[in-house]
Amino acid sequence: MKKLLLAATALALLSSAANAQSIRVGTEGAYAPWNFINEAGELDGYEIDLANAICEHAGIECEVVQNDWESIIPNLLSGNYDVIMAGMSITDERLETINFTQDYYPPDPSLFVATAGAEFDFDNLEGARIAVQGNTIQAAYAEENFADANEILSFATPDQTIADLAAGNVDLILADGSFLQPVVDNSGGAIVFVGPEVMIGGGVGGGVRKEDTELLATLNESLDALKADGTVNQLLAEWYGDDAPAY
Amino acid sequence: MDTDPSLLARLVGEDIAFWFGYFTNGRHMAWYTSFRFTIIAALLGGVLALVFGVLGALLKRSRFLPARLIGGVYTGVVRGVPDVLFFLFFPLVFIQGLELVAAQFVCTPESIEAYQSNWPPCREASLYFSTEQYLVLACFALGIVYGAFVANVIHGAMRAVPSGQLEAARAYGMSEGQVLMRIHIRQMWVYALPGLSNVWMLLIKATALLSLLQINDIVWWAGQLGAPNFLPQVGMVHGDWRWGYYTALFVFYILVTLLSERFFRAVTKRARRGMPVES
Amino acid sequence: MTGFAETLWAEILIFFRPALFNIYFAAVSLAIGFVLAVAVAFARNGKNPIVSHLAAGYIYAFRGSPLFIQFFMFYSIMLALNAVWWRPLGISGVVMHPLFIGPLTLVMNTVAYTAEILYGALRTVPRGELEAARAHGMSPLQIFRTVTWPNMIRIAWPAYTNEVVFMFHATALVYLTLPVVGNQRDIMNTARFLFERDYNAILHFSVAGLYFLVISMLVFFVFGRIYERMMRHLSVNQDRPRLRFAPKYIR
Repeated sequence: MKKLLLAATALALLSSAANAQSIRVGTEGAYAPWNFINEAGELDGYEIDLANAICEHAGIECEVVQNDWESIIPNLLSGNYDVIMAGMSITDERLETINFTQDYYPPDPSLFVATAGAEFDFDNLEGARIAVQGNTIQAAYAEENFADANEILSFATPDQTIADLAAGNVDLILADGSFLQPVVDNSGGAIVFVGPEVMIGGGVGGGVRKEDTELLATLNESLDALKADGTVNQLLAEWYGDDAPAY
Repeated sequence: MDTDPSLLARLVGEDIAFWFGYFTNGRHMAWYTSFRFTIIAALLGGVLALVFGVLGALLKRSRFLPARLIGGVYTGVVRGVPDVLFFLFFPLVFIQGLELVAAQFVCTPESIEAYQSNWPPCREASLYFSTEQYLVLACFALGIVYGAFVANVIHGAMRAVPSGQLEAARAYGMSEGQVLMRIHIRQMWVYALPGLSNVWMLLIKATALLSLLQINDIVWWAGQLGAPNFLPQVGMVHGDWRWGYYTALFVFYILVTLLSERFFRAVTKRARRGMPVES
Repeated sequence: MTGFAETLWAEILIFFRPALFNIYFAAVSLAIGFVLAVAVAFARNGKNPIVSHLAAGYIYAFRGSPLFIQFFMFYSIMLALNAVWWRPLGISGVVMHPLFIGPLTLVMNTVAYTAEILYGALRTVPRGELEAARAHGMSPLQIFRTVTWPNMIRIAWPAYTNEVVFMFHATALVYLTLPVVGNQRDIMNTARFLFERDYNAILHFSVAGLYFLVISMLVFFVFGRIYERMMRHLSVNQDRPRLRFAPKYIR
């Protein structure tokens, strides 16, 4: 039994050592237009295009894999993939466990949306049902600022928050503006922005394990180059439309 | 699949052609192919449950006290906790165990020092498990959980085999091993079948849990496909359709149960041939 | 060693509040489920073929599909109905709450399993006793009260004990499928949450399992005592049936 265990371990180690020149990129696949699964059933979106551009520039092989948001940091740490590119904001709390590349989407305000016609007093919000995605900066923010007088519902995926808002089960969603913008644009006026902009988080970057300093340097170098030659701006314009930010 | 869409539309009408196209797009095809995970989990999990069940039953029948104790603890503890808990626990602990073994060989004090997260001990000992490997682990988890149930069924069935048959076999001069393999275990199946059928029903229902192990199975895809979409870039813009997709899975599992029941009824009928009629 | 004992004790305390959620889910759904299951079992056993078939179909559907999917299905169906029904009625906040929808789904599920158990028991109520009661000139209500009901409960009790334990185990699925409100976390959710902090799978999941195991054994003990009391009319010399800790494959 022990021998078998050793053999299995050795095999697993070998297979992971064999492709040292390739990296895996973990993404959620449910956060359009950042990352999502397209009609063809493949991962697509700004971050997938960007990941491919980075890898091409750095001359490494890339494979993008899907992982649910809830376990996306733990599975990075346990080695299921090497970089997180999943619309993850750079925060101090996350910086305690992982490192981030420079941002590839500038700091973006978090916004509230509600169904058209609903009114809220944001100075002292009370009795509202606020939807957030679990383990996000917005979840932490809502927990800190609104938990006493309101109900915070945390969902596993961001599209569940939209579904529950559309069905009238929650009053507000707090999420990244870049995620909510297309929802508001395409909802035909049913879903609208309300209340203040909240600045939390410091832009979106790629998450890597702390000890992978070499990989971090490579990624940053490539991002520098891609920002300089306009590739990043071009991808931003392609995926976020006319209001897209630019570097 | 590359037929002229307008031809199809002319044949069956625009609406049907549209929905046919929708339900056969890449996302849906990925959903259909993800059924393979469920099927493999059910079959491999079932076989492993049988193996663990026979082993468990033999342990419980053993004349050696520690073996009996192990058998008893196995069947008792595994059935005393929810299947979903063990289903999550087993793969995690198995992987961590392997990483611990690996760490003994590949980690140096420096590399352990350099590695900052809590687990694994060092970078080199970190193991990557693909979806297929997770699937195998999931099958083992299912096999161990439902093996405990199977062990009880088989334990009972072995006691139900008429002792006269075993005595007759011994009288023929068979060794204990021969009696066990040739007579006891073979005759036992008839008595075990109703119970095994029940465990199988439990097991196929437990295959719905695969998505908890990061396997993109039918349940995960149903959630993805039904999720509301507001972006034309992503695909068709629609509201929340998850209720439809989950109801489809609900019906799917009922049909599988129906088929399984038919199958077990036929097998039981065959196995009962030449047996004394029971009430 | 004391360090380990302290860690373990601290862990056990952490799980105390989450365990109350599981107990709440199980207790509420079992209490409501049992009453409804009696009705469904009698409907299944009744003479009206339409009602009987409906009951049979219901039992078959909910026993034949995974509870995991039933949770997803119920939540999404209730959500689809929210704009049309719950919201106009003003009960949206209650109906869509996990503390309501969780038990609701569990009730739908346990009614099917319990009704099947009770139906099986109903069919094995001794004919002779029913005939004797009729010969005594008892009214149908009297027969039900003195013969059918006590016999049904006695026959069904061991299987029902299993169902109770399984229902308690099934509560582990609630927060794996429904949104989490505030910091209302159950045992499973807490175990996963803690695991993702420090990767100590063995500690967190073992303590979570311990809670389920101990409560399961407690249920077996209490239900076993009740069973002994139910069977006390059997003479002492006769082998009284006893319940042991042995979750069966009934489900």
